[in-house]
Amino acid sequence: MSLGLVVLIPYLGAVLAAWVARFGRLHSAWVAALVAGLALAWLLPHAPTTFAGATVVQRLAWLPAVGLDLAFRLDGLALLFALLILGIGLLIILYARYYLSERDSMGRFYAYLLLFMGAMLGIVLSENLIQLFLFWELTSLASFLLISYWQGREEARNGARMALAVTGAGGLAMLGGFLLLGEIAGSYELSVILASGDAIRAHPLYVPMLVLVLLGALTKSAQFPFHFWLPHAMAAPTPVSAYLHSATMVKAGVFLLARLFPALSGTPEWAWLLILAGGFTLLLGAFFALFKHDLKGLLAYSTISHLGLITLLFGMGTGLAAVAGVFHIINHAIFKAGLFMAAGIIDHECGTRDMRRINGLWKYMPHTATLAMVAAASMAGVPLFNGFLSKEMFFAESVHLSAGLTHGWLLLVAVVLAGVFAVAYSLRFIHDVFFNGEPVDLPRTPHEPPRWMKVPVEVLVALCLLVGILPAVTVEPVLAMAAASVLQGPVPPHDLALWHGFNPALLMSILALAGGLLLYAARKPLFVLADRWQGRLDARALYQRLLQGLFALAGGVTRALDIGSLQRLIALFVASAVLLGAAGFLGGEAPLTGGRALLPVDGVSLLATLGLLAASLGAVALHRRRLAALILTGAVGLVVSLVFIKFSAPDLALTQLSVEVVTVVLLLLALYFLPQRTPAESGLARRGRDALLALAAGGGAAALAWAVLTRPYESIAPYFLAQSVPEGGGRNVVNVILVDFRGFDTLGEITVLALAGLGIYAMLERLQLPGPDRDAEGRPWDWDTHPAIMASLTRLLLPLALLTSVFILLRGHNLPGGGFIAGLVTAVALIMQYLANGAAWTHARLPPNLHPVIGWGLAVATGTGLASWAYDHPFLTSTFGHFDWPLVGEFELASAMVFDLGVYLVVVGSTLLILIYLGLMHGASHVLRPDEEAR
Amino acid sequence: MLDNLLAFLILAGAAFTFIGSLGLARLRDFYTRLHGPTKATTLGVGSLLVASAIHFSTRGEGISLHEVLVTLFLFITAPVSAHLLAKAALHLRLASLAPAPEEEAPARQGDASPEER
Repeated sequence: MSLGLVVLIPYLGAVLAAWVARFGRLHSAWVAALVAGLALAWLLPHAPTTFAGATVVQRLAWLPAVGLDLAFRLDGLALLFALLILGIGLLIILYARYYLSERDSMGRFYAYLLLFMGAMLGIVLSENLIQLFLFWELTSLASFLLISYWQGREEARNGARMALAVTGAGGLAMLGGFLLLGEIAGSYELSVILASGDAIRAHPLYVPMLVLVLLGALTKSAQFPFHFWLPHAMAAPTPVSAYLHSATMVKAGVFLLARLFPALSGTPEWAWLLILAGGFTLLLGAFFALFKHDLKGLLAYSTISHLGLITLLFGMGTGLAAVAGVFHIINHAIFKAGLFMAAGIIDHECGTRDMRRINGLWKYMPHTATLAMVAAASMAGVPLFNGFLSKEMFFAESVHLSAGLTHGWLLLVAVVLAGVFAVAYSLRFIHDVFFNGEPVDLPRTPHEPPRWMKVPVEVLVALCLLVGILPAVTVEPVLAMAAASVLQGPVPPHDLALWHGFNPALLMSILALAGGLLLYAARKPLFVLADRWQGRLDARALYQRLLQGLFALAGGVTRALDIGSLQRLIALFVASAVLLGAAGFLGGEAPLTGGRALLPVDGVSLLATLGLLAASLGAVALHRRRLAALILTGAVGLVVSLVFIKFSAPDLALTQLSVEVVTVVLLLLALYFLPQRTPAESGLARRGRDALLALAAGGGAAALAWAVLTRPYESIAPYFLAQSVPEGGGRNVVNVILVDFRGFDTLGEITVLALAGLGIYAMLERLQLPGPDRDAEGRPWDWDTHPAIMASLTRLLLPLALLTSVFILLRGHNLPGGGFIAGLVTAVALIMQYLANGAAWTHARLPPNLHPVIGWGLAVATGTGLASWAYDHPFLTSTFGHFDWPLVGEFELASAMVFDLGVYLVVVGSTLLILIYLGLMHGASHVLRPDEEAR
Repeated sequence: MLDNLLAFLILAGAAFTFIGSLGLARLRDFYTRLHGPTKATTLGVGSLLVASAIHFSTRGEGISLHEVLVTLFLFITAPVSAHLLAKAALHLRLASLAPAPEEEAPARQGDASPEER
């Protein structure tokens, strides 16, 4: 699985990069570079095979039941993209090491960058569409983290959120499209899909599928009308922009177009959607780029424009156009990464990116200026630079396409116009920044950046020139390999050369260059005009309105249901439960009472029931005296646990008892903040409604219980009773069910408990509530907060209570008990110390940090489950054996008991955490005794 | 013989428990009523525990020690709860048959929360 490793290495490296940052800022950069290099080293051995035209597919069973494999595919297109991602990624890593300032966390940056790199590699190397989608979403998430890297800045957070919302929405549409595509083709494997293009295009669902898939691709590649997120993503650090907007993120969209080209292209729908979207984007992006005063804003819109160009090329659907598209992907990645890095250097050195203030930098940084000018010339499509070649192929293809259209000249005009604007904004990038007078009011005096910060730009600029001057030697093999895999067939003859003779494409190039020069010369009045129109044409406004509408809707729904009243929420909840339950009863024909003979009523049960009734009615009658009501509720719980004993369920009785104690303590702690008596708050009508609801709910539950209990039924209980000893190795069936048969459920439950404990801790930590300083009759509290008798005797109690809980824990597998009960007993024993001796005394003897206890508990429980993998058994398979222990004799050990230990730790940790922090809230209202104050 | 002993112990325990409950209901002020349940738990439940210990220890499964632990718990917790109840009653100045003892420390304005810390 070496291809899978290429994807996995950056993910592992991300963790490592974040970790080594604690030993020094620059360590992360080294680790990141090593990781990218390692991934490259794993990839390169496959390159010869791929250059020879073969496709490597490696698979690993993932969800065989639904026919999904983790499958990786390396063909020409994938190799090209992987090389771009890793190669430019390496340059970015080097560049960012000098770009980030002392205040920026290197570990976080490189961890995010590597996460992103892994996700991108995952996209390009996926053989399986679902897998591709997963990585696609991961790039959205990782780019969110990268764009919002400077979390303190509002524009960074907003830009990141916008990018995530737009690309995420597109991703959702794309998932729908992929599912349709998988159903149409009968497989999610690219090998199958790419080979069945004709069947896919003839399918009735082709159009909806195409629209959905293209929505995903076009949002990712920032195509009109989804282009608006890209300029806002410029709030990211420049290395991020250089990476995301040259070789990766936005190229994922066009990668998808290239990847699915054989399967989807060639229909009028494909052509029109992409030509329209690409054409508009090409023109609009180029137009807006010229009028951006922000250096990165200019590059952002130019990126949008170039992506439009690539989309347009793929939309044309011919083989040559696809070759040109792939070629422009390469060229754009190279020159745009270089330009972004140059812009970052300028920003870094000048402290601003405003081109109205940055002028005449040639004097200050001639070396950087030369590099930036070469890259910008390539962007403009000047001969001898790589951008010229692919642009001319693009012009030639446009001429070819327009010949077959009725209003083809429109396309030609648009294309030339976009070329004119491209030349103009590239010219502006060169002239405005490096010449055009003196700098205006710069925050600092610019000079050349550190030597190694320029090296990445130099590498990219050298590539621009090499490809531009000697295309046939340098880029042709790569292009042919990638194009062959895009087309899944022979590559049409194309001639990568500087000179093709006089032809329409050359004429268009000359027109664009001349027009661009003229346009730039006449820029001043145009800028004035543009400033006046600033902000009028903004697709972002639509997005904002949509977002606000969505927020308003969500807020409205919440406000309609939740007015901040618990009573109302509970009433709604109970009413819906009653309604749904009643609806279930309505349809059936069966009588309420089943055929089972009723048992005679015995005295004890009757007495217990009467006790329950009395306690419940008492709680209702006394509900405004909170303490009395609480004690009566506790009595209900005690009677219930007696009932459990009566029906031979000692385990349940123990559980019920300990839960009851903890609950009462918890409520007592909370009651302290409430008035001891509640005034009558609700009117008669409201109380009538509540009474009706309560009667309906209680009656409904009773009816349900009656209906079930009066029928003979076969439960799975006999199975558990029979299998408990042979399979679980324990005679306490309840415990064996909890830790063995239903162990996975228990693992989920303790996780929820741990999360609840941590959540309550997060809410209560440092919360100080003023409690009442006297009781309902106005008497002050007793000054003696920790009576000596209680304090000293409770200390005596602790070892006994702990002994009991350990006893309960150990015997749990065979006799009533278990981790949950033992945990509660321990928690109660410890909380007693808090109550009797105070938090300060207890914290001096017991570490107050309970998070490790919870963590260890979860780790032990999960570890027990994982251990069974080592023996080739499914997760949480338990084993047991009998051991001979000298003196004690033979006893039994089960792996489930270790699991139970995990349960115990989680219960102790979470319960204590909740109780302690509920208790500590009282600190504020506690007034010290005179002699305590003196201390 | 053993059965007779056990029966006697259980009956004695039940009698003490009953007397304690009766006292709780019938005695005239809080402080005297406090005697009922505390005595009943120690003597009444104590007898029952002895009966339980003898019964489970003579069934040939070894000596039953659970009851010792229960007894320890009882002997520690019963005085504590009785003490706390009496303290609370004194603090609240409940009516008493005998004259109440002097206050040990003046109740101060703003004194707060005895149990919760």
